[in-house]
Amino acid sequence: MALAATAAATALLLAACTTGPSGTSASSTAAPVTGGTLVYATGDAEPTCLDPHVGGNYPQALVATQYLEELVSRDKSGAIIPWLATAWKESSDGLTWDFTLKPGVTFTDGTPFDAAAVAANVAHIQNPATGSSTGYLALSKVTSVEAVDALTARFTLSTPDSALLDSLTQPWLAMESPTALARSQADNCESPVGTGPFIVKQWNKQQSISLVRNDNYTSPPADASHTGPAYLDAIDWRFLPDSASRYAALQAGTVDVIDNAQPDTIIQAQKNPALSYLNAPRPGASNRIELNSSIAPFTDPNVREAFIRSADVNDAVSSLFFGTATRSYSPLSSAEPLAYSEASDFTYNQAAAAQLLDAAGWTSRTSDGYREKDGHELELTFPVSTNQSIPAEQSLFEQIQSTAKQAGFKIDLQPMDLSSWYAALGTNSYNLVDAPYTKVGPDVLRILFDSAGTVPAPSGYFANHSQVKSPTLDALLEQAATASDETQRASLYQQAQKLVLDGYYILPLYDQQNGYLQQSVVHGLRAMPTVSTPSLYDAWVQR
Amino acid sequence: MTVVISLAVLVFLVVAAVWPDLIAPGDPLAIHPLDAFQPPSAQHLFGTDESGRDIFTRVIHGTRASLLIGVTATAIGIGLGLIFGLLAGLGPRWLDFGTTRLLEVMFAFPGLLLALLFIVIYGPGIVTSTIAVGLSTAPGYARLIRSQTLQVRDAPYLEAALVLGRGSVFRLTRHLLPNVAGTLFVIATLGVGQSIVWASALSYLGLGAVPPSPEWGAMLSAGRTYITSFWWMTFFPGLFIVLSAAAATLLGRGLQQRKRSS
Repeated sequence: MALAATAAATALLLAACTTGPSGTSASSTAAPVTGGTLVYATGDAEPTCLDPHVGGNYPQALVATQYLEELVSRDKSGAIIPWLATAWKESSDGLTWDFTLKPGVTFTDGTPFDAAAVAANVAHIQNPATGSSTGYLALSKVTSVEAVDALTARFTLSTPDSALLDSLTQPWLAMESPTALARSQADNCESPVGTGPFIVKQWNKQQSISLVRNDNYTSPPADASHTGPAYLDAIDWRFLPDSASRYAALQAGTVDVIDNAQPDTIIQAQKNPALSYLNAPRPGASNRIELNSSIAPFTDPNVREAFIRSADVNDAVSSLFFGTATRSYSPLSSAEPLAYSEASDFTYNQAAAAQLLDAAGWTSRTSDGYREKDGHELELTFPVSTNQSIPAEQSLFEQIQSTAKQAGFKIDLQPMDLSSWYAALGTNSYNLVDAPYTKVGPDVLRILFDSAGTVPAPSGYFANHSQVKSPTLDALLEQAATASDETQRASLYQQAQKLVLDGYYILPLYDQQNGYLQQSVVHGLRAMPTVSTPSLYDAWVQR
Repeated sequence: MTVVISLAVLVFLVVAAVWPDLIAPGDPLAIHPLDAFQPPSAQHLFGTDESGRDIFTRVIHGTRASLLIGVTATAIGIGLGLIFGLLAGLGPRWLDFGTTRLLEVMFAFPGLLLALLFIVIYGPGIVTSTIAVGLSTAPGYARLIRSQTLQVRDAPYLEAALVLGRGSVFRLTRHLLPNVAGTLFVIATLGVGQSIVWASALSYLGLGAVPPSPEWGAMLSAGRTYITSFWWMTFFPGLFIVLSAAAATLLGRGLQQRKRSS
């Protein structure tokens, strides 16, 4: 009873203190103060390249939001709004899109932003030498971009793409100065040049990136709170991978904002008036464990279902996340309006798991209690990228390892750094993997579950980790991507999600967690309604 | 007095290592998610961790791994030290010169760095981290054994044995080793403490034991994330590392003093 009361109190506290998804933090009536340096400490991996066209992961998007901008953006309701493009028009056959660009915008190196620049950026992303994966996959239907006149860029598509505008809101498709792109990739990775409110001044590897204000800034997105240059003089963007030290630094006041906050510290911070919390789950895919259906033992759907039935996720989520995360039963994030859930596929049931394994022929057990068949142990390799998951998540995997053991699965958890993890995926030597994928809109399903997604992008990365190869699913996703009717599109995406869930290719866990903690003296920090990266354009500090 | 207390602590740890179920009959890996993060109480003496595992049970069951790593690593270190030390001490001058230079080069690297280097090449895990710690302590033992050997080598009784026509094996086992053994035993006791700390350090860095095994260093590392909210997750594994290392070291010191005064 006492426990229930505490839980209820915690829930109330959460409800009271949490701002909505993609909300702005601590609103204040005071007038913004100009000047000062804000210290931001990130727990995400340090990018190897600051140009998000190259590769294209979330750590790059986090920092690139400060100095690069996109053609369009999205508001809190999910509607597409103007940014570097003021208007756009789709042809009746859906094969050409004309974008009208904002006049008078220049990149911070003085190069004008025009239609030729847009064409150069798309060409850069599509050039295999760039090694793009996220941007490259998002633009797979774009065959060419031409400059109709200085301020009109025409996109030509191979097939209609209902996700084009959603794709273009993302930092991985940001606009960079063509002059800067013409430099060597090493130079461009070091100091990409955009139209954004801040400029990359210096990158001290393994330590920090210093960003300074762009005094000639003129191009905020339509939903920004002010116009003109940013309030802050500079941003000190630090890499602090250890979550305990990150929170300690915030408490001590040496940093102003941290990301990847641990659930227990979020609860603690909510009791502290000097700190505030901004919750902004990432859009696109839910956080899920993918089951590699291309190699044994998961080639057998019964074994996949058995694993899923034997994993007790709910108890783990409620105890490890202190109510800051909600269990997901969908391939898509709850931030996506078209997300479809099917809770019944994921009920925890050891008896059912045992039956399924018996039926699949995994009948005998080793002395350690693991099941075996034809002399092979029922062993699953699970590489875990320690850069991409917070410790609470790694504990969750340990708990799944423990409950799956009851059914007879032996799970080898292998914690490793990001590059070893990419290598493990590349050699197809994994049975389970948890890989975040952030993209605006349900088109992320095409990237994660279309059979084309098993083929590596130029960066060497492939996104279909469950390696689903289903012609039915491919056809559904193809139809959904070209559908112009919104209800039809929703229904097609629903069918596709149902196929994925019923095929036991994934074990959904919760939304991709994205919690920011900040000093209460920081005002105006907001998470972009696109991919929930923090924007410091409207931010100011009252010291 | 300290020797007696140290001995008592070590005896307790040895019992915990050999018969852990005698002290903590539970399963160190059993999870109870809904009992996670419980503070120490009568039910959970040391509290519970993030998966609701009983920390007392885990610490007790972790003793075997930690002591085994400590003792094995020291044995490897002393074994290698003996080989190199005796070679240098008894061999011809050029061999002494070569071995001593090699040891000096190895001394140039801080011990833990040598261990890290070894793990980078052969991959993390309990076995590699044990060998790594053993390897990196070997130069110290080797130098000590060499100097002990040099002291004894020219002693009259060894000359006498030589004159009497005793073989080299006899001289080694009968005269040399017993002389070196006393010092070696004291140093080894001190070494076990150091090896436990080093092995825990490697596990703490994620280079030793793999989750969810109840190893002290790994537990310390897992608890570190929650240190601001749940102190007991780091305190108790840390306490046992300190206790075992301190007990081994104090016992070693005590034996050292007794040996000197006798």
